[in-house]
Amino acid sequence: MTRILGFSALTVFILLPLTQAVILSFTVTMPKPGAVPGEVALANYLAVFADPNLRSAILNSITYVLVNVVLCLAVGLPAAYALARYSFVGDRHFLLLILVFRVTPPVVLSLPIFILFSQLGLVNSPLGIALVHCLFNLPVTIWILESFIRSVPREYDETVFLDGWSFPAFFFRFLIPQIAPGLGVAAFFCFIFSWVEVVFARILTVTAGKPITMAINAMFGFQTDIGMVMAMTCVSLVPGIAMIWIFRNHLARGFILRT
Amino acid sequence: MPPHDNRAWLLLIPALALLALVGVLPLLAVVNYGFHDIFSLADIHWVGVEWFADILGSDRFLASLGRSLLFAALVLTIQIPLGLLIARFLIGCGRGAVWGLMLCAIPLVVPWNMIPMLWLGLIDKQTGLLGPAVLASGFDYKETAIHTWILLLTVDTWHWIGLVVVLAYAGLSAIPHAYRQAAAIDGASRWDVFRHIELPRITRALGIVLLLRFVDSFMIYTEAFAINAGGPHDATRFLSIELGEEIKGFSYGQAAARATLYFLIVLTAVWAFVVAMRQKEPA
Repeated sequence: MTRILGFSALTVFILLPLTQAVILSFTVTMPKPGAVPGEVALANYLAVFADPNLRSAILNSITYVLVNVVLCLAVGLPAAYALARYSFVGDRHFLLLILVFRVTPPVVLSLPIFILFSQLGLVNSPLGIALVHCLFNLPVTIWILESFIRSVPREYDETVFLDGWSFPAFFFRFLIPQIAPGLGVAAFFCFIFSWVEVVFARILTVTAGKPITMAINAMFGFQTDIGMVMAMTCVSLVPGIAMIWIFRNHLARGFILRT
Repeated sequence: MPPHDNRAWLLLIPALALLALVGVLPLLAVVNYGFHDIFSLADIHWVGVEWFADILGSDRFLASLGRSLLFAALVLTIQIPLGLLIARFLIGCGRGAVWGLMLCAIPLVVPWNMIPMLWLGLIDKQTGLLGPAVLASGFDYKETAIHTWILLLTVDTWHWIGLVVVLAYAGLSAIPHAYRQAAAIDGASRWDVFRHIELPRITRALGIVLLLRFVDSFMIYTEAFAINAGGPHDATRFLSIELGEEIKGFSYGQAAARATLYFLIVLTAVWAFVVAMRQKEPA
């Protein structure tokens, strides 16, 4: 009985704000073609996908998130291998460096990053956001991949090298298939952390390249169509919730910190 | 012990190059700007430690620092026990636990600027689901400081409780069942089991929670700005909100000095975490 009560209390607390958003997103709040205010309909969602600005915002978000995931995996995998398999001068200092970048709040670095990236011509482009999100995603990737590589016995590497395979061949033909689940988990957390971040995403998109989060802010105005805002919000929640389901047994890995 | 080989650095080169561009360079730049007065990028004057002295000597800074510390302290005292409680509760749920974990993780995947929006929609007096309750209780987050604080703490707890639950659950579920059985045979109370068996085995997870939650709540920006932008009457003017104002007001030199100070605070927290964690490690 207490178990049911406890679970219900938790469910209500977590889902209440989302319930409101879902209800509003299906309620027509402003006149639209073929729908009158107050009606329950899909009109808000149709309007979201019909609006070229919102469509391009969704596309922008997906672009920089995917570029970020690819960058983090490509750069993080060799680093994770080095940390998992060798000890070397300064390895702990490197771990400390990535720990510091992992926890530094974006607002602290937003000013110099904006100035630096505007000199490099990386403002208003998805590439700029993808690069800057590596600041916190690369450490996460390195730690996750390192823990997966550690769980492969060292003898595995040695056998492959004894068989005469070169180092790059070992990486692509043997290591990557062995730790494929790890790559998936790392990609999941990079995706999520990049998807929800707003401080860098706002400061680096001044006139163009707006992501979903900023497009929603821009929908508030003199007459806000709140139903449509909520429809856009619900759309932005879909990838995250789908991924929670897929990676439900690995949720703790994204918040591990190594020292 | 893994073999010692300094050639491993070659594998770190791509990672280091990337971090140098997006992390180290901006960090050096912000420290450098902190010692200058910046009208435009072409018109920069050296002012030494003037900004730092100004900020550290101002009552406004000390007040904001106090508010941020109080907020972080309240966040930790609410969320860590609550998260542990939920995690222990989920451990008892057996196979249903994964549903609880997924539920708690949902707020973690909501874009940050939508979180205040969702909550403000929820308590809207005309259209919110909690609107009638808000009207009946006289809750007014715009004008009454204590109500703004309550709302902010509730929103932050909603957002981050999943982090505490997920990490605490991972730590608790790694404890072999035999430990709890042995304790039960000895007639240990629930509190004894928690104090002597569970707590020592989740200190690492708790350390991580403590660091992540401290830094993020101490530097809370997105939610606090969206909910009341520091008001009413500066009652929720936290450190990061002052920094945001200076950046928006183009006083780059002062903002950089402030960012440097904040970075030093974060660095101190990280250093304390690392020292504590390395003491815990088996030698």
